[in-house]
Parts: sequence; C-alpha cells; structure tokens
Amino acid sequence: MNPEILIKLENVSVSFWQNNLGIHSIKDLVTKRKNPFKNKPILKNISFEVKKGESMGILGRNGSGKSTLLRTIAGLIKPQEGTITVNGSFAPILAIGAGLEMELSGYENISLLLSLYGTARKNVNSIEEIKDFSELSDEVLSMPVKRYSSGMVARLAFSISLANDADILIIDEVLAVGDQGFQAKCMEKIYNIKAEGKTILFVSHFPEDVLKICDTAILLENGCLTHSGSAEEIGTNYKQLF
Amino acid sequence: MQNINKIHNVQNITRIYALSKRNVILRYKSSLVGFFWGFFKPLLYLLIFIMIFSAAFLQSKYFPSINDYIIFISAGLIFWFFFSNVTNQAIGSIVGSSGLIKSLNIPILLYPLSEIVSELFNFLLTLVVFLIVMYWFGISYNLRMLLIIPCTLLFSIFCLGIILFLSSLNVFFRDVGIMWGTIQPAIFYMTPIAYPEGLIPEKYKLIIKCNPVYYFIKLGRSIFYDPVAPPAAQWLHCAIIAVIMYIIGALVFNKLKNQFISTI
Repeated sequence: MNPEILIKLENVSVSFWQNNLGIHSIKDLVTKRKNPFKNKPILKNISFEVKKGESMGILGRNGSGKSTLLRTIAGLIKPQEGTITVNGSFAPILAIGAGLEMELSGYENISLLLSLYGTARKNVNSIEEIKDFSELSDEVLSMPVKRYSSGMVARLAFSISLANDADILIIDEVLAVGDQGFQAKCMEKIYNIKAEGKTILFVSHFPEDVLKICDTAILLENGCLTHSGSAEEIGTNYKQLF
Repeated sequence: MQNINKIHNVQNITRIYALSKRNVILRYKSSLVGFFWGFFKPLLYLLIFIMIFSAAFLQSKYFPSINDYIIFISAGLIFWFFFSNVTNQAIGSIVGSSGLIKSLNIPILLYPLSEIVSELFNFLLTLVVFLIVMYWFGISYNLRMLLIIPCTLLFSIFCLGIILFLSSLNVFFRDVGIMWGTIQPAIFYMTPIAYPEGLIPEKYKLIIKCNPVYYFIKLGRSIFYDPVAPPAAQWLHCAIIAVIMYIIGALVFNKLKNQFISTI
C-alpha cells in the first residue's frame, strides 16, 4: 500500500442485527419459525481513501451512518463485506461523552481512559494537560461526571481524546456543545494538530465548520456514499438535502 | 512482530488492572461501609445455617462438634460467594460498558475478564478474614493451604467460561440476567454447602453430580476441612470441567462478539 495513504476502504458494507423481542417474537419463533433478529444494512458498499495529513469531513443527515462509519474505520465494528486498511493509530472516539463513566469523577475517568487507551504518555503531565485544556477546576474534576453540564462533559471528552499521540483524530460532533470560548480553543487546537501533519476525520452538521477544517469531504445518504470531493462542493451538496 | 505482540500483552494487563479498579470503585461508590457488606453476607448465611441445621446435624455422625460444622459451612460459603458474586457482577459487564466498547478499540474480552480480577481481590480479603476468624474455631494453619491457589485458578477459569457464555447472551436477551438471578438459589441448595454430602439420598446423588459447581466447592472446602489434601481425581474432574466450560463460553462469545456494538 502506498505509504501516503493512511486509510483505505474498499466496498465496505456493514449490517446490524435488529431485534424486535417480546412475547410476540417467541410466538412467531415457535409458530412461524421466524428469526427474531433481522439483518439491517447500515453502510452499503463504501469505498474511499484518506491520505496522510488530509482532513476529511463526513456530512450527512441524522442516522445516515456517520458514527457507524467512524467506528468501522476505527476497528470497533467488523464489516461483513469489503476490506479496510489503516496505517496508523486512533485517538478514542468520545462522541459527546459516550465513553465516559457517568458515576466516576472527572479524574477517575481521565486515569481510566488513559490506561485503557494505553498511551506511552500516561503520566502526571498528560493529566495536567487535560486539566489545563478543559479549563475544568479541581472541584469539578473531583465530582462524578453525571453532575456535569453537557458542555462540561464535552470539554472533558474532547480534552481526553486530544491527550495522546495518535496519528488519526476522530471528532464526532463534539464541538456542538461547548461554549464559544471553548469552541474557538478547540478550533485552534485542531489547526495545530493539522499543522503537525496529522490526519483528521471530522463529523459535523455545520458545513461552515467542515469548510474551516477539512480539505475534502464525503456525503452519506442512507448508508451510501453519494458524493465525495472538496469540502466546499460537499457542503453545498449537503445543504441541498434539506 | 513478536515484540509488538509483547507490548500488546503488557498493555492489556494494564487495561485489565484499570478496568478492575473501576469495577471496585463503582461497586462501593456512595455506600457507607461498602466493603464490609462483602463479609456480612457470608456471615449472615453462616448464622442462619447454625441456627437451623446445627440441632439436626450435631447429634449425627457427620460433625463431632459445632466448630467442625462452622468450618465446614464457612469454607463452602466463601467459594460459593466467589462464584455467585463474580457471575452476578459480570453478567452485565458487556451491556454495562457499552460507552467504552463503542469508543475504544480494545478486546471486548477484557471487560468480563476484569470482573474476575476485581472479584479475586475481594475473595483474597475474605479469605484473610476467614483464616483469622476460623483460628478460634480450631482450624490449623499448614502449607497444604497453598493448594488454594491452583484451586482458585481452576475455579476462575470455570467462572470465566460461564461469564463469557452468560454475558454475551445477555446482550441479546436480557432474560438471561433475570433468569440467572432466579435459578441461583436452586444451584446453591443443589450444592452440599450447608449440609453434608452423606445426607443426600442415593437416588438424588446423580442430580448433585450433574451440578458442575459442586466439584469446585468440594475441592476448595476439602483444602480447609479435610485432614489430607484432595486426591488427584478431584483435581482432574475440576480441570476437565473448567476447560470444557471455558471452551463453550469462548465459542459463544466469539460467535456473537461482532454484533455486540449494534445491540448494546
């Protein structure tokens, strides 16, 4: 594989089991021998490439398969068909706090995620770094995350996902919740990461943000990749959806 | 390549440690005396059994004194509670970690595995308390007690098999978790813990022998209660059961693991 190409997807299809369990499904299973699990296609035949240092935006309506696509690229979901080749490491995907443990405090979450992610930099420095970037006080970080406001959760989640040396950064709608100051700070950080030559996959519902960060973009509709091209083009395509 | 594998393994050990720590914190979070409930439960059972059964058993040939009966039940109970706690905690380990499973690319096997590690930690503390308290009831310390290590290891492999089986099915049918809570008392009374094995009528012995937990409880208790080390045949039985259970659990888990994310 060309070393310049970091991520390559070839005809990737992903389907999920969808169940409809309940007392009626037992009846159906017994009388009609109907399987209570249905295969529901989520991603259909997707192919694209991301070069090293490229920032790609992923646009699409709610439920078009954006998050599933990210998880598939990150290796969390195995595609039923097609192949994925990735030449680098991923930062954890913390889509608005999905990976945070609500009962644990901010500090406990930081140390849990750093050890799970297994960064070589798991030390006092990275904890300080996360604390500084998130601008959350000691008092807040000692509280269980369930008491955080959604903006505070986003700050913590985003700061943790930045605190490692991954080659590929995945940003899944994290920016939508933070306040203006934090959004600006994140944007600046993302520009820096870009300048370091790292690769970014960016999911957003705001074509303006995608335009600011990304060079290229793809558009997903109902699990199919319908358009790919420059961020500008795809932004226009996306707006035409509505 | 070998080096990469090695780094990977070391990393997974740190991960298991981090997850086990999380399990322990989560379990006792916002409880006052958290940890002591772990000792209280076996103690309560012990008292109940002494009150109910001692009158019946003490005159019989099975237990020369009440102290023997106390050691007999306690040794069985610590192993039973290891089994019961670890399965109850771990059955929801995959469903309960959905957030982490959806965001981090680490082997899903680590989640159930970490439940075993955190329960082993619990078990170790219970064991220490047990050994201290049992001194008053006339237990004698000897090197034979070190057999507890291979015994616990075998029991853990067996538990891992059960956990893999139950927790992966529980992802798709939550009935599994509810069912497990329901049938546990039946398994408990089908295992000779509160009563001696000799009391079981001949025609029901087969039912007891079909209960895999029986073999492990018997092996573990025998280390503390019997004057000689358990015979090789007993170890062999446990090893075979543990390996078979592990293979069944691993097969089911591997078959289903690709669909965990879509369902949790």
